[in-house]
Amino acid sequence: MDDQAYGLLKSFFPQVRFTAEQESRFRGVWTEKCFDRYALITEAGNTERYFYFVLEGVQALYILNDRGEKVVLGFSYAGSPSGVFDSFVSRQASSTFLEALKPSRMLAINLGDYLALFELFPDFHAWGHLFFRNVLFGRLSREVELLTLSAEERYVAFMQRCPKELKAIPQKYLASYLNMKPETFSRLRSSVRY
Amino acid sequence: MATLVLHPENQIQRLNVLVNKVENLQAMHPHILTTPPSPKAWSIVEIIAHLSISYGHYRDKVERTLAQSPTATPESNVVSARLWQKFVIEGQRPKGNRRRWKMKTLKKFEPLLPRENLSRQKLDEVFATFKTLHEHLKQSILASRQRDMSRIKITSAIGPIVNFYLPECFEFLLCHAERHMVQIQEILDSQS
Repeated sequence: MDDQAYGLLKSFFPQVRFTAEQESRFRGVWTEKCFDRYALITEAGNTERYFYFVLEGVQALYILNDRGEKVVLGFSYAGSPSGVFDSFVSRQASSTFLEALKPSRMLAINLGDYLALFELFPDFHAWGHLFFRNVLFGRLSREVELLTLSAEERYVAFMQRCPKELKAIPQKYLASYLNMKPETFSRLRSSVRY
Repeated sequence: MATLVLHPENQIQRLNVLVNKVENLQAMHPHILTTPPSPKAWSIVEIIAHLSISYGHYRDKVERTLAQSPTATPESNVVSARLWQKFVIEGQRPKGNRRRWKMKTLKKFEPLLPRENLSRQKLDEVFATFKTLHEHLKQSILASRQRDMSRIKITSAIGPIVNFYLPECFEFLLCHAERHMVQIQEILDSQS
């Protein structure tokens, strides 16, 4: 991992302070993985082996409905965590896919090393508390949006907060994430300002 | 009749579930794996061998077809099963825990395993062959996501009465394997 990648990774854990020795150990447990566009990083039916931190690219987390169509649950992108966390922690087969929508470069940590971070460095508990709180708040906010906002309001709310790189992925993924048909998304994109 | 749309991701998910189930079977006692529910029926290991034989008839055709097919993007690459092919596929697909349309197996698909004194090593070989072939199947399904699958048809192992585009072929093979997983569960239930 180069220094730039490590700097980005470290900024994801602002609560954690290391001694030089600890930092070397922390840095050593991450491995860099690259994925081509359309690669299935995690396949449903398999167990997620890694917790990822994204350096480059965009990834979609989706589940298949009973017609086999993709229902997008979320995205990850540079600077964000990625992976199928429930499968990773529970060691159970994943019901979701993680797909690279753009060529992706990610840092990966396996479960043994991930759990050891909490044992070795107490600061990780503070990080974990804030991280999971933010994840929970994010999911609650999305649930409220899906249940209470109109398609147009959902579109505006999402476009106002989503990073630039997400706007360049195929529309059908964004439409699915916003629980609308691709045609609706396309119509809103051409007619609504945000 | 409703359209049967074939999504490679759906096929990959089902294949992963199936391969994991077979991996779990391998850890079972040899007596469970080699004892058929009746003298004329297959044992679990014979079923696993049969699944490998079945895919073996397709492997080279699948490889050739993928090599000859032009590239495509996954977004534009959704295939629906044709009417006759859908009928053949649905004939294999189990309905819940039930196998419909029970049929006699052609000689060329029969597992040729000795019924007595099957060693652990031989059992492991059968499972290893299954794993290798079905990893090939998975890689083929993955590769098909970025190939135009609507150009080349292959003749099925049943004969020219059925031809398949590869997504239809994958679906047929998966339904066939899922059907035999139901049969395996029936054997396990009868032994418990």
